[in-house]
Amino acid sequence: MAAPRWSGLMKYLPLLPVYAAYIILLLLGLYLPGMWQMVALVLFYAAVGQAFNVFIGMTRYVDFGYVAFIALGSYGMAIAISRLAAFPQLGVGIIAIGLILGVVMAVLLSIAVGGVALRLRGAYFAIATIGVSEGFRYFIDGAKIWGGSEGIIFSRQLKEVFGPTANSLSTFWADVLVLLIAIVAAFVTIHYMRTRVGYALTALREDEDAAKVMGINVTKYKIIAFVTSAAFAGLIGASAWALKTTYVFPADVFLITYTVEAIVIVMLGGAGTLLGPVVGGLVYGLSKYWLAIALPGYQLLIFAPALLVIIVTFPQGIVGVVKRKVKGTALERYIV
Amino acid sequence: MTALLRLENVTKRFGGLVAVDSMNLDVHHGEALGIVGPNGSGKTTLYNVISGVYVPDEGKVLFEGADITRVPIYRRSPMGMGRTFQIPRPFASASVRENVAVGAMFGSLADKLSVDQSLEMADHYLEVMGISEHRDKPAGNLTPVEKKLMEMARAFAMKPKLLLMDEAMAGMHPKDIDGIVSLMKRIQREEGVAVISMVEHIMRAVKGFADRVVVIHQGRKLVDAPTAEALSDQRVVDVYLGRPNVEESDATS
Repeated sequence: MAAPRWSGLMKYLPLLPVYAAYIILLLLGLYLPGMWQMVALVLFYAAVGQAFNVFIGMTRYVDFGYVAFIALGSYGMAIAISRLAAFPQLGVGIIAIGLILGVVMAVLLSIAVGGVALRLRGAYFAIATIGVSEGFRYFIDGAKIWGGSEGIIFSRQLKEVFGPTANSLSTFWADVLVLLIAIVAAFVTIHYMRTRVGYALTALREDEDAAKVMGINVTKYKIIAFVTSAAFAGLIGASAWALKTTYVFPADVFLITYTVEAIVIVMLGGAGTLLGPVVGGLVYGLSKYWLAIALPGYQLLIFAPALLVIIVTFPQGIVGVVKRKVKGTALERYIV
Repeated sequence: MTALLRLENVTKRFGGLVAVDSMNLDVHHGEALGIVGPNGSGKTTLYNVISGVYVPDEGKVLFEGADITRVPIYRRSPMGMGRTFQIPRPFASASVRENVAVGAMFGSLADKLSVDQSLEMADHYLEVMGISEHRDKPAGNLTPVEKKLMEMARAFAMKPKLLLMDEAMAGMHPKDIDGIVSLMKRIQREEGVAVISMVEHIMRAVKGFADRVVVIHQGRKLVDAPTAEALSDQRVVDVYLGRPNVEESDATS
């Protein structure tokens, strides 16, 4: 009986380098003074990369409205804290409710968008999604829901409920939450890869018509990947955005820049690989952090041509290249 | 006995062109049927109606007695309908083994096979098709003949009751054709799969494989008879084959 269980576990070996990277980052942040901010930035980008990778990496469909899920997640947390501050006895429960609300809102939007737009192919899907995040932003503005263009500021309510610990919630625990989300996202990714979902997504990514003939309900599997990806985006928005900044303004959270950053991270690291978004997040986060110090204002000017170079010269990304290099060696089963 | 596949008065038009004209056809369990017709005869349209790419304008398609005329493509594979493409369509970045496993995983045994069992089944069919040594290569790196063999392995791993093959031998060397035809024939017999093979001009493939041949001309059935009889039918020879072709394939077999 032990053998099959062990071989079942072997399938999850590629999680080791991912989790090792996270542990090293965490330790660096905890024990080297002044490093936490940088570690938090890297964790944020790695988590965003992993969340986005489940969809863009595994299906190669590009969602230009992806930031809408992050935005809705942050609204979920903002609404939970601002409304539930009247019940301070709930304590940490308010944060949990905020996370759940953020996920539910992101998932509902993804079902609505995916159910319609994922019946479209490639480029048509990409075009359809551009409207989603912009449309939603103007809807909040115009319909004056959730504070309209003024957004929701909830730093006062956070202080009322948590008192002096409110500060560490924003500067430390929000980042730890992001790390936990990244850990779960990595697990879900490898789990998908090792089950029918992963095989179906690989097949439809390569040839959607042939996949249908094989008996794959391509729309169903695209929606599974889309909703999963949106759920993680909602969680990231609720923690890395709302909880960290203690405010939500539509003009800030519906920024297409985040979608573009997510695409860069996934492509740079290696779309559709498990380790790719972590490597991409690390490289992107670190270079953005240091460029902001060394050449403030020039980051985008450097990243835009860099993205072009990546896509032209090594479209499989860093991990894609490494994966090919280690094929046939002992490392093969760890790099996926 | 219910026919495995039955077409009842199937008509498919494109504007004013009647590509398939009130076609009736029965295919039985375990039968090897060749559908022969020149370019433009309506063969490909018929193929697309059977496999679900087109919905016919009139008539019905029945599979084991059930009306599948409007059943979406992806639901036909679990029912037991497999298909290969004229030009192989591998999932290029996935390994050969994974490609074949996808067939098993979503085919007629989809609910019964785990991922691991599907991979084992893939190994079996790669062995049968003689391409085991390539199993870990990306399918996109195979030679055209290997791709064809892989696609057949993938189709058989779907465990279909009916397998549709579109010009399976197009563009292949005669030497390869003979080998693949006898291999296909063997698997078809052993597994009791009904196969419909669409052929435009490679008669040696039809002769070596089909029990029965249907010749299509201008969207209609011209001849429906056992292979030897159908291919030597005077009408078929007149409209389509021409004598030298028949002589030639006789000489080599």
